[in-house]
Amino acid sequence: MNVREWALITFTILAQMSVGSFIVLGIVHYFVVRKSGEKQADELSDRALLAIGPVLALGMAASLLHLGNPVNAYKAVTNLGTSWLSREIFFGVLFAVAGAVFAVMQWKKIATFTVRNVVAMIAAVIGVALVYSMSQVYMMPTRPAWNLVTTPVSFYATTLLLGVLAMGAAFVANYWYVQRKNPGCASEQCVLLRDALRWIAISSIVLLGFQFVVLPLSIALMAASGAAASAAMFVGEYGVLFALRLVLVFLGAGVLGIFAYREAQNAGHERMLSILAYSAFAFVLVGEIVGRFLFYATATHFGLQ
Amino acid sequence: MAKQLGFHINSSVCANCKACQIACQDKNNLPTAIRWRRVVLYGGGNWVEKDGRWMPNGVFSYSVSFACMHCEKPLCVEACPTGAMVKRADGVVLVNQDQCVGCRYCEWACPYGAPHFNEAKGVMTKCNFCEDLLAQGQNPACVDACPMRAIEFGDIAELRAKYGTLAEIEPLPSAKITQPHAVVTPHRNAQASGKGTGKIMNLPEEL
Repeated sequence: MNVREWALITFTILAQMSVGSFIVLGIVHYFVVRKSGEKQADELSDRALLAIGPVLALGMAASLLHLGNPVNAYKAVTNLGTSWLSREIFFGVLFAVAGAVFAVMQWKKIATFTVRNVVAMIAAVIGVALVYSMSQVYMMPTRPAWNLVTTPVSFYATTLLLGVLAMGAAFVANYWYVQRKNPGCASEQCVLLRDALRWIAISSIVLLGFQFVVLPLSIALMAASGAAASAAMFVGEYGVLFALRLVLVFLGAGVLGIFAYREAQNAGHERMLSILAYSAFAFVLVGEIVGRFLFYATATHFGLQ
Repeated sequence: MAKQLGFHINSSVCANCKACQIACQDKNNLPTAIRWRRVVLYGGGNWVEKDGRWMPNGVFSYSVSFACMHCEKPLCVEACPTGAMVKRADGVVLVNQDQCVGCRYCEWACPYGAPHFNEAKGVMTKCNFCEDLLAQGQNPACVDACPMRAIEFGDIAELRAKYGTLAEIEPLPSAKITQPHAVVTPHRNAQASGKGTGKIMNLPEEL
């Protein structure tokens, strides 16, 4: 592993986290608007929305470190006809632009609620396309460990899991900010925070269950389709890291998720709830980074190298 | 139909001297770590004890010289995000270094390990069929360097008419993936791609 490979890990994790966050935030916002009206919903989600942009920008900046000749980076969208890498960059830039347009409209309250919703929906669809093209980059016959249906499936699982937990952490941070600035507004926000975190906890537990099906399945598929050497690495030389990845995600999304769910039931436990939301996000983020490291480290090459 | 250049590799006479590899590096002024053409040694079998003596049991080895196969379906060209990797009208696959972004995606895609990353330049490099020599009516450096006359080049249709269509013996990958423009005359012990019982015998630093 060198700088170039860490650049790819950073880029894929951050880009997927921002797509997931955008989608999760949209869903939460939709339900909160219905429950408590637009003003309270915006108070809950606007600052979180603005946090997504820098995450994506950081990821895209990191991707440049992967290039031997970054001055030509702007040319990398010119082979959309056949290259999934071109498409990945294309959708990455498009998602950044659509997301930024929506963020500005939402922040400055430009256009009607419905128009903004349509823009957000378009950005979300572009985000889904981005994660799909990210996965297709790795689907090539010369990389049998990647050329499996579990690659896109696990990329989407990572997208949603990180999105859910990143937004959980963002809501908590936002809550304390609101409480400091405007204590009068905080009581309604406190109810919303607990509601949102309860659903976030449930989603993260469900996604954890999904991931614990996909991960063994991907290794089984590797073993069955010409990448037995890669499959063996998950229990051999990278066994400890793989176990660490499973434990971190299990603790973060599962165990802390259950505690967060329970703490979110009653008012007055916001401090504990915050600690749980922050640490669940941290655990899962590190777990997913280790997972992505293993994704690259275990990919064997088919043919001569 | 446009002419398609290709190589004939006569594995049955290759002696693994690596003159082709050295000629290529010399002619193209490549850094020591980069070899556009390489010679891979493939072998297997074992020794068994019989009546107090150790006897060879299916011991074999043979060599295959290989470089870019200038494929019909070059996955490198397909993968390249900038269009720097191109397939010319004469079938030669070239990398336009002014266009290359150095992402190394072509390296992932190629089953022959043909695109090589030049650390100093930050871009990909690969076998260009000695296009400058061809333009002067000369042969590629590897072809002229071989003391066994094991490498030949020309229009692939003519080479196939002369030597058949085999393009996959161990340790070359299956020809189905990219449809390489090479014809191999197999060594008598050659094994089919993907069904080999041996392994690559070169030291890692040799390849």
